[in-house]
Amino acid sequence: MSVQEKYQTLLELANQNGTSYTLSEANGVLHIDGTAPSEEAKQQLWDEYNRIDPDYRGGDLMLNISAGGAAAGGGQHTYTVESGDNLSKIAQKYGTNWKAIYDANRDILTDPDMIQPGQELKIPQ
Amino acid sequence: MKVKFLTVLSLALILMLGACGKKDADIQKAAQDKLAADSVAGATVTVKDGVATLSGQVADITVKNQAEASVKAVEGVKSVNNTITLRPVAVATPPPADPKLQGTIDQNLKKAGCTGATVETIAGKVTIKGTVPSAKYAECVQVVSQSGAAGIDNQLQKK
Repeated sequence: MSVQEKYQTLLELANQNGTSYTLSEANGVLHIDGTAPSEEAKQQLWDEYNRIDPDYRGGDLMLNISAGGAAAGGGQHTYTVESGDNLSKIAQKYGTNWKAIYDANRDILTDPDMIQPGQELKIPQ
Repeated sequence: MKVKFLTVLSLALILMLGACGKKDADIQKAAQDKLAADSVAGATVTVKDGVATLSGQVADITVKNQAEASVKAVEGVKSVNNTITLRPVAVATPPPADPKLQGTIDQNLKKAGCTGATVETIAGKVTIKGTVPSAKYAECVQVVSQSGAAGIDNQLQKK
């Protein structure tokens, strides 16, 4: 079984919870470097890692995930709206709810159903 | 009478065979559409007698699994033969000998409250030893995993 196969559920979870990552490998050690949208999302990944490899003894994975919010030095995270987005969808990515994002962006949004591609939304922590 | 029977039989047979062939093509088209809809890039699918064969090279194992799940969900697909290969991942470049690595890890361990943990760095590979409270264990391992080290030999114990 390749290392990637061993940690496939971890990678799938990363895809689901909005963590962007890159893979590299050397000497049988898989490196996953990336950024999770929130501290919770990062924790989910570490929980899954612990499930696959209890107490992280294998030495075949270097999980280097930073949480998006924390990496910005506690500053607010911003998200650029893409075509097809809606507030609920964006909120899901960051583990928050649409109302919180709407409230944080009242200055540029007048209707939670009307967001435009290219708009920069503040994502509350 | 016998001739008529044979004619009907062969006609039916031809029709059935024709239907089968068409069905494979339809299933294949549906499977291709499904792959596109699920944003699976790099995989191609062919269908013969209801058996879908996936081939191509994709970015990572999650894409390979997704391709199989997508095609399995297509009506008419009896089984999936997944021959997709994975694009070789980049070779992690060994970090340049970083004399500060050990110091950085020591510092971050201290910051995380991992007193009792000691690290030793040899050629970018970090060995962590010692004993820390159970509640701190995961956090202490994280410090090393996120340090940019090439590898980890985790011998840390829980109290």
